[in-house]
Amino acid sequence: MSQLAETYACVPTTERGRGILISGNPKSNTITYTNGRSVIMINLDNPLDVLVYAEHAYPATVARYSPNGEWIASADVSGTVRIWGTRNEFVLKKEFKILSGRIDDLQWSPDGMRIVACGDGKGKSLVRAFMWDSGTNVGEFDGHSRRVLSCAFKPTRPFRIVTCGEDFLVNFYEGPPFKFKLSHRDHSNFVNCVRFSPDGSKFISVSSDKKGLIYDAKTAEKMGELSSEDGHKGSIYAVSWSPDGRQVLTASADKSAKVWEISEDGNGKVKKTLASPGSGGVDDMLVGCLWQNDHLVTVSLGGTISLFSATDLDKAPLLLSGHMKNVTSLAVLKSDPKIILSSSYDGLIIKWIQGIGYSGRLQRKENSQIKCFAAVEEEIVTSGFDNKIWRVSVHGDQCGDADSVDIGSQPKDLSLALLSPDLALVSTDSGVVLLRSAKIVSTINLGFTVTASAISPDGTEAIVGGQDGKLHIYSVTGDTLNEEAVLEKHRGAISVIRYSPDVSMFASGDVNREAVVWDRDSREVKLKNMLYHTARINCLAWSPDSSMIATGSLDTCVIIYEIDKPASSRLTIKGAHLGGVYGLAFTDQYSVVSSGEDACVRVWKLTPQS
Amino acid sequence: MSFRWLSRPNASSGMGVADHTKNTFLELKRKKVHRYVIFKVDEAKKEVVVEKTGGPAESYEDFTAALPENDCRYAVYDYDFVTSDNCQKSKIFFIAWAPSSSRIRAKMLYATSRDRFRRELDGVHYEIQATDPTEMDLEVIKDRAH
Repeated sequence: MSQLAETYACVPTTERGRGILISGNPKSNTITYTNGRSVIMINLDNPLDVLVYAEHAYPATVARYSPNGEWIASADVSGTVRIWGTRNEFVLKKEFKILSGRIDDLQWSPDGMRIVACGDGKGKSLVRAFMWDSGTNVGEFDGHSRRVLSCAFKPTRPFRIVTCGEDFLVNFYEGPPFKFKLSHRDHSNFVNCVRFSPDGSKFISVSSDKKGLIYDAKTAEKMGELSSEDGHKGSIYAVSWSPDGRQVLTASADKSAKVWEISEDGNGKVKKTLASPGSGGVDDMLVGCLWQNDHLVTVSLGGTISLFSATDLDKAPLLLSGHMKNVTSLAVLKSDPKIILSSSYDGLIIKWIQGIGYSGRLQRKENSQIKCFAAVEEEIVTSGFDNKIWRVSVHGDQCGDADSVDIGSQPKDLSLALLSPDLALVSTDSGVVLLRSAKIVSTINLGFTVTASAISPDGTEAIVGGQDGKLHIYSVTGDTLNEEAVLEKHRGAISVIRYSPDVSMFASGDVNREAVVWDRDSREVKLKNMLYHTARINCLAWSPDSSMIATGSLDTCVIIYEIDKPASSRLTIKGAHLGGVYGLAFTDQYSVVSSGEDACVRVWKLTPQS
Repeated sequence: MSFRWLSRPNASSGMGVADHTKNTFLELKRKKVHRYVIFKVDEAKKEVVVEKTGGPAESYEDFTAALPENDCRYAVYDYDFVTSDNCQKSKIFFIAWAPSSSRIRAKMLYATSRDRFRRELDGVHYEIQATDPTEMDLEVIKDRAH
């Protein structure tokens, strides 16, 4: 039996030049955001408490809790809104196709009966309000000519809806049934976000022209604005009211978030500027914010979530981060508690501590993309999409200077001899390169298309897998390879080869969904018929005592086999990662860490079957 | 004028069905003396013959081990189980074993003769076509039988 022990969540997908919208559960401290096709619900008090909803067929854009906290309405780029329960396996209540283009914002009415959604579409269908259970329209929303970026529902009666968009307009509708009342053209750039105060007396609109305007909620007359003294110096992407309606939090591209005091006459003055510590690059631009009870949450373009305390604005924020893109490899360092390093192809390496969660990002001096990644204590070897291999020493969270070596063609696979990590084997399209530290020892053209390779921990043997499914075993003497044997069993290109920790066996997986365990000395098949995946095998990991092997595949499953038992008695973890499992490692005898296309890293606990 | 219609060749593949295959099947069905029977197509004699039988004490693992890895076979397996309402039941499975690693000629031969042969076996409850060991896993059998 296997059980999900921990999830290290991904962060919201962000886009330069646009804000993102995150929302919170009115009844607890859980916030929700989207990444790829998943909707993530994370508890701010315990970031390891994460729930993921993965039922959208298209990338999800926004998700919102209903006022009673029981349902979530989430929308995606195809214009579909799904309404599902927050408990009990996320039972789907209804699904509606609302707009013909992507949905940018969604709001519930305070009684939870109506939903207004806005976004991109053709002509009339830029905003739509409908009953939550039947989908019938409750108004006509004309008045916008371009993409509508945000909408808001007045939280008290009489009901009003406000929308704002790329045509610089803020439109006001009365109803139900909702009809156009009036329009404001006070902004000189995209209006990014519009929100009503919780008491329903005012609403505020913020725009890329760095201004925030405050209006009366019943009549939509302009009341005042956020003072430009000490104001934002960049586009304001998001705004959020405090629960008492007297303060707002704004997040801006000038890398700061500001807390403003809103007076009764509708003018705002800066109370405090919150800046997150960061390296000062583009990644620190803030694109989203939320005032959730006592927490002030800001999201940066690079995906860092900063949690400030509302009562103590001077306290340093708690930083949470994660991956935004497919996590392609994992490495476990032998410390206690276990440190897990995960890397994604955009060059981000994050350190996680088992039991605690996010520990830090590895700051590398050159942030190139990462295709292959291997780590031993204190040292990381990576290769990207150029022809270089980088070797970096790691101290804490900082990386030392990197040594790079150009190997002449693109590296396909990378393997370190664990007992003498100086020695590395890199496979390229037509051969392999042996490296010692940062120097090329030899480049050998093997004559066949190489797809995977591995070097034994003591550096004396190397196995190279080819496009045709054959495994070539070489003995490494000095700087040459001598072919010892060719093993044929696989019926597809080899995708991964790994030695067992006790070096008595090695396992190989191919793109034809099959994995085979071989005995190293006799080169005979030890365990076969490991054919239970339904798509190509991406990664493979051995347990520390070499008794179990785990395979991860594009079919989103992780299967764990025991070497002594027949392949049919296996443990399957279905749906481990939406989109495919790309990284696997064992942290101890009964815990497996997996990572995948959904940018999450998950730790599973295995209970041995009796 | 007697004609042994049982061994008249089939138009599509030319394979006949030997007498004793039907008898062995009936023994499995009625007298329960076999757990499984494995049939082979004998090209030389142009008919389907019994290759191996397993005693009632043998398990599903013994049966899967008796099937060749790279060649096709037909098999019948008598599966005993207890249903959800506590009834002891027994169902007969016909398994067409044609692994993807076997020769194409073998696969074609077994595929074309299968229908003719299957018609002889009256009393089979479920049919399974397996192209690799995962498709005739014990779990698949358990799933099908109820």
